[in-house]
Amino acid sequence: MILKSLRLERVIAPFIGGLLVLTGCAADAPLDTLDPKGPISRSIDSLADPIFLIAGLVFVIIFVASAMIWWKFRDDHSTDEFPHQVHGHFRAEIGWTIGPAVLMAVIAVFTLISHFDLNSEDRNDLVVNINGEGTSWDPEVVVVGQQWWWEFRYYFDGLDGVDLSDARNLPPADIVAANQLVIPTGSEIGLKIMSRDVIHSYWIPALNGKRDAVPGRVAPWKIEAETPGVYFGQCSEFCGLSHARMRMQTIAMDPVDFQVWVDQQMQPAAEPTDAAAMRGEAIFEGQCARCHVVNGINDGGGADLVSNAAPNLTHLMSRTTYAGGIFELYESDGSLNRPQLEAWLRNAPAEKPAYAEGRRGMPALGLSEDQIDDVVAYLLTLGASPAMDVIAATEVD
Amino acid sequence: MSETMELEAPTRPIGVYTRPKGNTGWRDWVTTVDHKKIGILYGVTAMVFFVIGGFEALLIRLQLATPNGTVLGADTYNRVFTMHGVTMVFLVIMPLAAAFANYLLPLQIGARDVAFPRLNALSFWVFLAGGLFLNMAWIVGDAPDGGWFAYAPNTGMIFSPGKGMDYYALGLQITGIASLVSAMNLIVTVLNMRAPGMTLFKMPVFTWMILVVQFLLLFAVPVITVALFLLMFDRNFGANFFNPEMGADPLLWQHLFWIFGHPEVYILILPSFGIISEVIPTFSRKPLFGYPFMVFSGIAIGFMGWGVWAHHMFVSGIGPISVAAFSVSTMFIAVPTGVKILNWLATMWGGRIRFNTPMLFAFGVVSMFTIGGLSGVTHSVAPADTQQTDTYYIVAHFHYVIFGGALLGIFAGFYFWWPKCFGHLLGEKLGKWNFWLMIIGFNMTFGPMHILGLQGMSRRINSYSPGFGFDFWNMFASVGAFVIAVGVLLFVINVVASARKARTAPPVGLDPWDARSLEWFTPNPTPAHNFDEDIEVSSLDEFWHRKYGEDENGKVVRVATAEEVCQDGSATDTHLPSPSYWPIILAAGLPFVAFGLIYTLWFCVLGGTLIFMAIYGWIFEPVDDPDGPHGHHEGHGEDESGVDEATAETVEEAPVG
Repeated sequence: MILKSLRLERVIAPFIGGLLVLTGCAADAPLDTLDPKGPISRSIDSLADPIFLIAGLVFVIIFVASAMIWWKFRDDHSTDEFPHQVHGHFRAEIGWTIGPAVLMAVIAVFTLISHFDLNSEDRNDLVVNINGEGTSWDPEVVVVGQQWWWEFRYYFDGLDGVDLSDARNLPPADIVAANQLVIPTGSEIGLKIMSRDVIHSYWIPALNGKRDAVPGRVAPWKIEAETPGVYFGQCSEFCGLSHARMRMQTIAMDPVDFQVWVDQQMQPAAEPTDAAAMRGEAIFEGQCARCHVVNGINDGGGADLVSNAAPNLTHLMSRTTYAGGIFELYESDGSLNRPQLEAWLRNAPAEKPAYAEGRRGMPALGLSEDQIDDVVAYLLTLGASPAMDVIAATEVD
Repeated sequence: MSETMELEAPTRPIGVYTRPKGNTGWRDWVTTVDHKKIGILYGVTAMVFFVIGGFEALLIRLQLATPNGTVLGADTYNRVFTMHGVTMVFLVIMPLAAAFANYLLPLQIGARDVAFPRLNALSFWVFLAGGLFLNMAWIVGDAPDGGWFAYAPNTGMIFSPGKGMDYYALGLQITGIASLVSAMNLIVTVLNMRAPGMTLFKMPVFTWMILVVQFLLLFAVPVITVALFLLMFDRNFGANFFNPEMGADPLLWQHLFWIFGHPEVYILILPSFGIISEVIPTFSRKPLFGYPFMVFSGIAIGFMGWGVWAHHMFVSGIGPISVAAFSVSTMFIAVPTGVKILNWLATMWGGRIRFNTPMLFAFGVVSMFTIGGLSGVTHSVAPADTQQTDTYYIVAHFHYVIFGGALLGIFAGFYFWWPKCFGHLLGEKLGKWNFWLMIIGFNMTFGPMHILGLQGMSRRINSYSPGFGFDFWNMFASVGAFVIAVGVLLFVINVVASARKARTAPPVGLDPWDARSLEWFTPNPTPAHNFDEDIEVSSLDEFWHRKYGEDENGKVVRVATAEEVCQDGSATDTHLPSPSYWPIILAAGLPFVAFGLIYTLWFCVLGGTLIFMAIYGWIFEPVDDPDGPHGHHEGHGEDESGVDEATAETVEEAPVG
């Protein structure tokens, strides 16, 4: 793009320096909107920066004029005479009507170019190895928001034949993940954003702006990450009680690592072998499986919830967060964050505000301490733990 | 006429009562139809709600001062921010503008009252009923929790099963009636009751802006009315207007809400633009620069305000073409707003400015609104808005517009017209402290929100974790909020202290600010009958032009003192509209209907009966009470024919029966 080639960002950086310095604690601001990490968000940024500059210049002009008025035209009681009575100036009025209009027209041109660019699709098929076969995948992921977490569904045969008309009854997917969207770097990834209940908004500031998840609609959107890393997000449309606790991350991996992740996710759930885990599995089947899916245990059917769905837990341990991305599954040393997980199993509504009694959110299960230990033992068998660097990078605090 | 009335009195049919008597005490305040008293009622009520809404704001800032705040639970927080928004928009800024419009508009056009005095009283009491009803939700412990914007389907029965959103829908419906009634009343007043010689382009800019606002209300309120009815039917009668499962599109609500909601922004800001367009010329000792352009830009904003609503929906998924169109239209609404700012600056430029408190606040509006306008331009750029919307950057933006623009302007109006209303000035020293604390606190609170928003802090979150870089500026903003609170407290102290001081001090002069427009022809405070006689208007700023002329060198010279120009308020033969019981009774019926829709329909019967009774009594209310406080009344007979004074008020008061 023209804007990019002008390196406007560098030209204007000193001017909006003040603002950037103030916001520039970017190292510890993972949601920073001025710190793009992909071509899409960068094109927004390179459009927005000159706008900030123009707004800043107008601000300076108006404030300098105001300051001059403040100091120069203040009544100093040196005279009783009235100032010259000016009623107006036609050409000045025309000038400051047309001037800003022209300025706005220029902004509008660049805005529209950028806007339609951002709303176009430019995806290339990726080759993904599925069950030992190289498959050409049009990289699109179905993103489903619900109170108060996100689901990500991968269909490696493409979305053409997939019926997306009912977010609560989507066809079985190859991979169903929650709260952490895993994508390969260097490719534009299409998103089909949907909702199972109220309006949410999917937003990873480093990769693109936000797009609402509106029930009954399928919103096309896209993201792209240049380098491997973890990019934070936050639901940004008010969605009720735990709106603040509906977070998400996008984990970008280089294509080789992404293939490894796909291979792991395509595995069925392992059969537990030790006694505690087997007891836990039985409890899971009796209680948790009313809502949660573990592939092989209960593959279909709706959950006993308003939204008809709870997170698929087949590869729970391959994620690093749960409950809408607000709790960490692992300690920094890579061991299980057991106290938090046990507290969650003991009484979920106490850990995260929800309307469990209104079938929105996980209820208190009434498990005994022994049962909780057994369920944890079972959950530990679900999926392979992620790499240490992912665990470190996904930590919030 | 009066003789006939007395003869008829013993056989008067049921429901026909004489008008209330006396003009003192609480009885007078609840039956008054005097636009000035109604204006004061609006002001006092709105300031009480301002304190409530401000308290809610402080709770929000306490909760967000530190990460993982524990002052409010998630549920309470959602209710508090919802009610903060609803209160500040519908129960504070709108009625404060109505307070100024009621008090000043008839005075600025040289009229005796508004066109329909009883309807004017009705507007106020209905507004009060709606405001009390909305806040009743706190008392029953079920305040609305869906945000002031109430996006479907989060406000439907499934996702908001309490009664809160019912209070929201019905409460706003009631205040909407007040706005509509008042809009029609003021439009008729401005169009029909101007002083002789006052053409539309000799009207003060404040009157112009209020006129534009009334037209906006007239067309915008019905849209929210429809939306609220749909919501009510969804919630209470099992309709499916916003239920996606039955094929409805939740974006319908967003369109309806913002087709109302965006003109609403101009409904909030234009009265303040009007106020400072009166204050700035007065204190700069210069006429308003480019009066016709100020008027036309206000009208242009009013028109263009209808074509930008979907900029609230850039990320809702309305399609790229729609987004493009609304992005461009939003950019161009910056043009007339820019014209206004430059004209205010040009008015001050070259002036000899007295920075009294009203001028300080007006100056603050120009500066702070500029910031709000510029941040508005940054999110008219749709791609940039996808990063900014629903973050604290937006919160910063609209507080710079509504607090920095509308509210500071209203405070300018308080200080400017206080002597007109109450006959004494507000203290200058406290006033300046009031201004500086408010403006510093305001910038401390909302300035950092630009940064927080660009750092990615979402709106409407009840807590945030440490580690997102939000900690410092949130604490800073919370401190700022309390600085604002101290500033507002100083205003209250100023009101009390200056009233106390005024008891012993000599009364304020006729023309404390060397003002320009018609309202200053009357003594301070304004007498009940406003003007002793009609004023022949020959120019804009008529009052100023009667005080000043030009000598042969074109220099401004004083030709008359205020004492010579002003009326002395001694007229006793002015026909005044008589007070009435019915407006407050009619208004009292409305909350009962609303309670009925929420709890049991029997309340509707009660409310409906009250309303019916009030309408009946209203219709058959005699023209006036012969013993009433409306002065002597020569030439009474002519009144009946409607020839004398030919005011719409006379027509309205004629009994139908």
